[in-house]
Amino acid sequence: MPESIPATLVIDTLKDLFREARAAHAKEVAEPPLHSHLGWILSVPDTHQKTVLAALDKEESIRVVTCATEDEATAIAAGLYMGGEPVVLMIQHAGLYASINTLRGVAMDGRVPMFYLIGLLSREKDKDPRESRHSMVRYCEPLLDTFGVPHARLEGPNDVHLIPEYYRLSRERRGPAAVLVGLETS
Amino acid sequence: MATGAAIDRKPMKPEDVLRAIQAARGSAICVPTMTTAPAWRTIAPDDLSVGCVGFMGGASSMGLGLALARPDRRVIVLDGDGSLLMQLGSLATNAGAAPRNFVHLLFKNGVYHTSGAQGIPGGLDVDFVMMAKGAGYRVVTMIDDLADFKRRLPELLKADGPVFVELHTGLAEQTPMTARGGVPFPQQVENLRSALLKPHAR
Repeated sequence: MPESIPATLVIDTLKDLFREARAAHAKEVAEPPLHSHLGWILSVPDTHQKTVLAALDKEESIRVVTCATEDEATAIAAGLYMGGEPVVLMIQHAGLYASINTLRGVAMDGRVPMFYLIGLLSREKDKDPRESRHSMVRYCEPLLDTFGVPHARLEGPNDVHLIPEYYRLSRERRGPAAVLVGLETS
Repeated sequence: MATGAAIDRKPMKPEDVLRAIQAARGSAICVPTMTTAPAWRTIAPDDLSVGCVGFMGGASSMGLGLALARPDRRVIVLDGDGSLLMQLGSLATNAGAAPRNFVHLLFKNGVYHTSGAQGIPGGLDVDFVMMAKGAGYRVVTMIDDLADFKRRLPELLKADGPVFVELHTGLAEQTPMTARGGVPFPQQVENLRSALLKPHAR
């Protein structure tokens, strides 16, 4: 059975991920960093991850940019990548459906590393997401499979290691990768 | 405030506008899209530009990401009216993020030139100046004369952004459909990243 994940655990994991990304960047690039914060979150508000987003509002070491659409978030992430900044996108499955052309055009065709945390809003606790009675839950993984986007399920606190793993994977593959947030964060 | 409603004089040639931008940009990063892209790669064949073709409407968002990442440089977006309509909410996102180094130049011609010059919804009556002002851009103006553009551009490129300029232009000589080619998008991405991140790039 999936378990809810505390927002603080997600944020601590993101901080560690950004620290690791900054350290890797510093090894490659000689110029000093232009920013004092650790990294960027691009979000289109998601009910499923609302406790994380609320906690991020008070978090000074991570800069959050709220976007009007997931298309924007994807293109902004590409710009941040070109400028050397670490970035994570926080969206929900409906936003993935809405922005799939931009994911294709930017992250896949452009070979831009792009890491998504995707909330599975309305996912039932006692059902596999692929068998959900809600189409927005049921089609998420098949859609990612169709586009060849590697993905994993965040089913409880013990799975947060998947966040840095799939972030790294997006860098190694130079393309999109996603972690699906199974239940509402707490 | 100058408004950007219907064009009532001979529009500027996009290529002339682009040449003026190239002459004034210095080390600014540029993000052309759709009909500005073919001419730009001839006028500014450098590694400090990245085109937005294939995800229409994304130019200003990509420019926003660059502007946030690189506050040490100006970022100039060469947008189109049909393109901007595809992601109109980006005006609010750009204004909300409020990067001071962000310059958004809108080439307004009233049509989707690349796909055959079909009219955009609302045509030339769509007032992007009002929209940008309403979204919260710090500097918003309209320019319909090349000499005026050349005179004002240096000041606009130094102004605290986000800056938005609606440019009344005619049709470009080429579109991405009539002038295919150029550096592939993934290579443009890597070229720009390398140019920005190599030691002593600034």
